[in-house]
This record gives sequence, C-alpha cells and structure tokens, in this order.
Amino acid sequence: MLLEITNLHARVEEKEILKGLNLSIKPGEVHAIMGPNGAGKSTLSNVIAGREGYEVTDGSILFEGQDLLALDPEVRACAGIFLGFQYPVEIPGVSNMTLLKAAVNARRKHNGESEIAPNDFLTWVREQAKKVKIDPKMLSRGVNEGFSGGEKKRNEILQMLVLQPTLMILDETDSGLDIDALKIVSDGINALRGPARSTVLVTHYQRLLDYVQPDFVHVLARGRIVRSGGPELAKELEEKGYGWLEAA
Amino acid sequence: MSALATYSAQFERYANALTAAERAPRSVQFSRFLDSGFPHKDLEDWRYSDLTALNERSFEPDVSASDDALPDLLLDGADTLVYVNGQVHPASTAARWHSDTCALPPPAVGIDALNAAFAAGGLRLRLDRGTRLDRPLQVLFCSRSDGQPTMSHQRHLIELGDDAEATVLLDFSGIGGERLSTHFFDIHLGRNAKLQLYRIQNEAAGGTLVTRIDARLSRDARLDGVTVDLGGGFVRHDLDLSLAESGAEATIAGLYAHARQSHIDNHVRIVHAAPHGTSRMNYRGLVDEKTKAVFNGKVVVQPGAQKTDSEQRIANVLLSRKAEVNAKPDLEIYADDVKCAHGATVGQLDAVALSYLRSRGIDHDTARAMLLRAFALQILDRIEWPALRARVETALHLPAELTLDIDA
Repeated sequence: MLLEITNLHARVEEKEILKGLNLSIKPGEVHAIMGPNGAGKSTLSNVIAGREGYEVTDGSILFEGQDLLALDPEVRACAGIFLGFQYPVEIPGVSNMTLLKAAVNARRKHNGESEIAPNDFLTWVREQAKKVKIDPKMLSRGVNEGFSGGEKKRNEILQMLVLQPTLMILDETDSGLDIDALKIVSDGINALRGPARSTVLVTHYQRLLDYVQPDFVHVLARGRIVRSGGPELAKELEEKGYGWLEAA
Repeated sequence: MSALATYSAQFERYANALTAAERAPRSVQFSRFLDSGFPHKDLEDWRYSDLTALNERSFEPDVSASDDALPDLLLDGADTLVYVNGQVHPASTAARWHSDTCALPPPAVGIDALNAAFAAGGLRLRLDRGTRLDRPLQVLFCSRSDGQPTMSHQRHLIELGDDAEATVLLDFSGIGGERLSTHFFDIHLGRNAKLQLYRIQNEAAGGTLVTRIDARLSRDARLDGVTVDLGGGFVRHDLDLSLAESGAEATIAGLYAHARQSHIDNHVRIVHAAPHGTSRMNYRGLVDEKTKAVFNGKVVVQPGAQKTDSEQRIANVLLSRKAEVNAKPDLEIYADDVKCAHGATVGQLDAVALSYLRSRGIDHDTARAMLLRAFALQILDRIEWPALRARVETALHLPAELTLDIDA
C-alpha cells in the first residue's frame, strides 16, 4: 500500500472537518475525490501534505509504511508527496528556476545524493517546461509573478514534472481552466502515470476525468467518504448531483 | 563632575595645540555644543534617537596613526583610502585624495557643532571638468578600540566638476570596542556630473556612528546612492540632497538588515529646488531581534520646482517580537504641476509563501532565507559593483546556492 488513511479526524480553527475518513491507495492507482463544497476535500489534501493550520485529532496516515503525521511538510515533500495547489502563491524575488533548483537539491540531499549539475538541470527543466507550454523566459521570473490563472496551474504541473513525486495530489487543479489549459494539465498528469506512482485528483467536476481516467472515484461528504466506485460513479454524479448522497 | 565636563577637558587640551586663528572658530563651535549638548528626543529630528547618554561618557581623541594589519575588507579593483580611527593608514593606494585640513561650517548646534569643534580633514576628492575616476574609490573608515573609549571627528569633501564622473564607496566597518565617530560629507556635483555613491555600514555593537551627507546637484547632475546598514551599535545617518538646478536626478536605495541589537536611524531629505527634477527613494528594512530601526524620508518640492517627478517607497519586515520600526514618509509640495508618490509599509514575513516553499521540500531555514533575500533583492540589484555585492550578500548570510540565479 502506498497510502493508507485510517479513521482520520482533522479540524481547522476548532471546526471539525474530517470525521473518520478511510482511504487506501496502491501504487499506480488514480483516485478521484469528488464532493460538494465544504465537504473537506481541500482539508484532506492539505492534511496529507502537512500544511500548517490543520490539526489532526485522531486517526493515522501511513505513507510507504511510515507515519506521515510525524513528518514536517518539507520532509513529506522530499519523501515523494506533491500537492498541486488550488491557489498557487506568487513569490516575487524568488525565481521559478531558483525554486526548482532548491527543491530538487533538497530532495537529493534527503536521499543522500549530491547536488544536481547545473547544465543537466537546465536541460531537464527546459524539456519539462516545453511539455506544459511554459516559455523558458518565464522561468527566470519570480514564482508565479504576474502569471495568469492558467499559467499558475501549468506552473504547478511543471514543478510536479521536475520533482517526479511518488504521490501526486492535485487540489482542484482543473478549476478555472479553459479547455486548452485543461488538456495541457491533463497531459502533464498522464505523462507521469506509471506503475510506481499514484494520483489523487480532488475535483468538483467530472470534466477533468474525461482526460485523466481514474481507477476509483470516491464521494466525500460531511467529512467522510460516503460512496466509492469506478469511473461510472463520476458520470452518475454529473447527472444526479450530490444531493441524493448527502441525504443518504 | 558636570555633564559634558570630559569633553571640555578634551577640547581644552586639543585647542592648546592650535594657533589663535585656528582656535577661535573652533571655540565658537565648542561653546555651541556645550549649550545644546547631545541631541535628545525632544528634538523633532531626534524623536526616536536619543544620544544624551553620551553626555556622561568620556572619550579620548585618537592621535596616533595605526599601521596594524587590516581586516580583509579591501575590495579588488578599487583604489583605496583607509582611515583607522580617523588616521590615514599606510595601506591606502589613493592617499592623494586625503586632506589634512577641512573647511568648517557656520556655527552649528549639537553633534554638528561637536564635529566642527574637533574636526580633522579626511577625503577630499576633487575632479576637474570632464574627468572621470578610472577605478572606483573605496574609502574605508575602520574603527576599533582596545581599552579606553576613543572618538574621532572628520569632515570630507567630494566635488565633481561639470561632466565629471566617479564611483565612491564610503565603508564604515567596526572591529570592536566603544567608540564615537562622526563624519560630515559635503558633496557638490557640477552640471551633468555623475556620482555613484555607496555607503556600507557594518560597525561593531559598541560603536556610536553619526554621519551626515549634504549634496548639491547642479543642472542635469545625477546622484545614484545605495546605502546598506548591516550592524552597528547606535547609527544615525542623514542624507540631505538638494536638486538645486533644472534636470537634476537622484536615485537613492537603502537596505537595513541583519542587525541583531542595533539602533539604526536613517533620515533622508530630498529638496526639489528647481524644475524638471527627478528623485527616487526606495528603502527596505529587515528588522530582527532587538534592533530598532528608524526611517524618516522627506521630499520637499519648493515653489517653482514644476514638473518634479518624485517617488518614495519604504517597506519593512519585522522578524522578531522585540524588534521595532518607526517609518515615516513625508511630503511637502509647494508647486502645482508635479508628480509625487509615497508609501510606507510594515509587515511580517509572508507565511503563505513560506509554507509553499516548504511544500516543495525546502527546509524552513532555507525557505526563510530565500524570502528574506527576495525582499532585499530590489536594493541588492542596485549594487552594480560585483565585489561589493558579493560582500553584502555574504554579510547577510544568504545561502550561497541561492544568490546566483540561473539564467533560464
């Protein structure tokens, strides 16, 4: 098992959001987490990534057998977890290239490897940038500085392509994207699919799932997974909405 | 013993060695100093900076020249004029720009008067019309004190003729001990003259450093100033610019950062006295631990200074609960066809950005250093002298691998 979440309870500012959530993900699988607004989808993503402000009050998360909740967010990232943010932040003064280099070298250090050679790194990053149609010139600009909404999401995918994570969590990466950008983002995710790498797609709509085929679809409501199924569940949700499940 | 008594004794000893003609104007200055004492917080310009503790202190004037080895502060590619505790050091390669004598100002008050009473000469850089310094000039003011606290007071002059050009670094570096140093600089820029002026301050914690730069810009003259405070005990720096003739341009950038328990007070005043002048003031502060930073920026647009284009930006980040910052932008406009903007902010390090960097695997301390550097970058980018920039970045303890951006 790559990720094993058991009876997870978490709260944000005294408000309990996750109320006993269970989820198991095997290597190579793609899981879609769907659900109404406020169900706890983003909380789940952020708790896995270890962001500050989320307090786990009960339950456990094991990643490759180790206790994930005991690790700092940067250590989780070095261990292979990547969270694609719903609202990527702008950081003027830290260039995209500097961020990528610092992130790659942090991971190499974590794994006991030496720093990456600058030339190899440049070539590698340029190749990945081409895949998500990011102009190499944008790499020397500040992180997401002045980027459009679509460019920010493509930049998240670029970071993911460069960092080659084991577990990709994409938090509403499809929101606000036009059809061309959605295609680019989906291609990026699909390019990383493989037997050793798993994906969690957190999304409100079925649209993304036309491009990235999930193995499993889960419905998150009231802090728990209330139903799981195959891709056909997403279609059903698209037709019926979430009301029938929330009432159940 | 009454307040200031030790200064009187010092002055008497000092004045006895002077001729009657030399003594008279200095005695006037000294009596003015006795009347006013050191500046205190009831004075508007010294509201957050009080030097009255010095009234009871005792400093010996520095007299003997030092030829001790210097710390590794000289920059490659520059001519150097080195003062140790106010005395010229033999390591100077540009001693031709030193003058033993100096002009005294009209009767002054407070610390200006103290400086004038004891003033020794210092830098005297005079460039004729159309000439230019081939190499940048590093003027190093090194202060150190081993036992008895000492003081030195110097007056300096930079005079660029029409179309002359120079790059000058005023480098205040302290090695340790209790000292009082004051420096006054008179700068005159002729028509279309260009001065790139750097000021770096990295004094030791026991030092008191008071510096003042008065500059007058003639028609189409240009002054580019970058000032960086990295430490010090009590530091007060006044920069007073007059855009006296049409078309003059002044761009001043400043950074105060990395100090641990300093008092750093920058007062910048730009007077637009003629039309078509341009001024830019951009100061940034990273205020940490027990440091107190004061910034007072003032732009005055005098009647008739039409088409003035002025902007002042002040941004501060407080990095500790015990740090303090008092930032005040100020604008006085007496002309109607001008463009003036100003703004000041005080904030904290961006927690969301910090969390974002950590989510990419970058540890907390490195992520923090990346954000500090990002904040300082606007000012660091203004240092166009690579060896100097490297020295500042090293002093800021920024991670070396982050200081060189890869061109994508």
